[in-house]
Amino acid sequence: MIRFEKVTKTYPGTGSPALDQVSVDVEKGEFVFLVGASGSGKSTALRLMLREARPSSGRVYVAGKEINRLAGWKVPRLRRQIGTVFQDFRLLPNKSVAENVAFALQVIGRSRADIRTVVPETLELVGLEGKADRMPDELSGGEQQRVAIARAFVNRPMILIADEPTGNLDPSTSVGIMKLLDRINRTGTTVVMATHDHGIVDQMRKRVIELEDGRVVRDQARGAYGFQH
Amino acid sequence: MQLRYVFTELGQGLRRNVSMHIAVVLTLFVSLTLVGLGLLLNQQADKAADQWGSQLQITVWLCKDDDDNPRCTSEVTEPQKDAIAEAIEENPEAASHYFETKEEAFEKIKELLGPERFEGPNPAATVDDMPQSVWITLEDPNEFEGVTSAVQGLPGVSSIRDAREVLQPIYGSITALKYGAWGTAAFLVLAALMLVANTIRLAALARRREIGIMRLVGASTLYIALPFLLEAIVTAVVGVALAAGALGAFMWFGIHERAATGLTFMPWIGLPEYTSTIAAIAVLGPVLTLLPTLLLTRKYLKV
Repeated sequence: MIRFEKVTKTYPGTGSPALDQVSVDVEKGEFVFLVGASGSGKSTALRLMLREARPSSGRVYVAGKEINRLAGWKVPRLRRQIGTVFQDFRLLPNKSVAENVAFALQVIGRSRADIRTVVPETLELVGLEGKADRMPDELSGGEQQRVAIARAFVNRPMILIADEPTGNLDPSTSVGIMKLLDRINRTGTTVVMATHDHGIVDQMRKRVIELEDGRVVRDQARGAYGFQH
Repeated sequence: MQLRYVFTELGQGLRRNVSMHIAVVLTLFVSLTLVGLGLLLNQQADKAADQWGSQLQITVWLCKDDDDNPRCTSEVTEPQKDAIAEAIEENPEAASHYFETKEEAFEKIKELLGPERFEGPNPAATVDDMPQSVWITLEDPNEFEGVTSAVQGLPGVSSIRDAREVLQPIYGSITALKYGAWGTAAFLVLAALMLVANTIRLAALARRREIGIMRLVGASTLYIALPFLLEAIVTAVVGVALAAGALGAFMWFGIHERAATGLTFMPWIGLPEYTSTIAAIAVLGPVLTLLPTLLLTRKYLKV
């Protein structure tokens, strides 16, 4: 589903590469934690998957396509197969919960009839039934992140990329979010989650890829956050 | 693609940046009007040159009784006229010439000013007040000095009128107006381009969160840029419409009602020239707004 082959990414004007000869293979339906300190290359790896950046050398395959060869106009189609969730939720403050989720379908041209059926289903899936008409600022952080996950998942993507989705949430709320991501993973969606949260990684016992200074220093099935813990 | 969404966005975009859009529309309006004015004046100059180029004649007024010129002691005599005719025939610049009698001159002036002023007991002028004249047609309208000097000073010649001397100032002012209009328009076009660029920068900034989400969920570049392009087209259409109205007013009040009725000796531009000018600014207007929009949406909304 996602494959990195000796991927190096150097940003212009910086000495050492953000990613250095990284080779990783993520199968369909896997749940992968991407861990490592700030600046270890996690965000760069996610940006490459979304084709927000291109590798300096090496190859990145996402959903069967080599993204550095992908024509610019095909990028939107690639992104429709990838859902994305961020630490800061990134909701539209002037739209209701349902509108925020529907927005993702509107802008890719789905019909209104489709949207009317899919949005409530997805809200129910993430546990937000009955909150469709609330505005984002009326919701708790956890609920806002659920809206963001609903928006990422509403188009039933093959891959869900989550960049520190629990970074702004307290531990008990984080557990709920992780349960939700796990449920999404069980539907067959590949989940890649970058995180700093030791507790969560240790608890979930999923595959862990650890980056340090742009290199993969550990790739362990059913891992914990670090050896020291 | 959902048109409803696009039009909602368009309406929001126009409202959100209403002062910038008004600035763009006004700048566009004035610059397009000036460009159009330059085009119209250009066509006016061409039209006048076309008409006169073939007809440019030199008129030699001959002496009459009681002439203003002190060298004219009496009405021009037949031998003097023969000498003048000979001088013209010998000159290679003259293609042909024609003697106009007092009666013909009188008929002409009656036609030009209206016959009623020359009839009845107290006419403005009589046949005898009219001078005789020779009308010389040139081989080449640009070469006239030779024939002028050949005839100048001959006995019986009162004065020589070269049509060019009359027309040159008119030509000159049309040309000056034309370049003035185009020069001013050039600055305003530049201002319009920058205003459009700024408008897009502001709009992209105001919508950066939405645009970021649209990119993430895989909206196409066209879909993201469409509201911006439509805004550009709407401002262009309003600017072009205002300019067309202003130019129409110029054509109606300036040319049709004033110049064309007052200065009948000249051919004036009309509907065909107006139509082609409007066509030109109708192309230029959208180009002026779409060009920076396309360039900047590529920059700011890059997927």
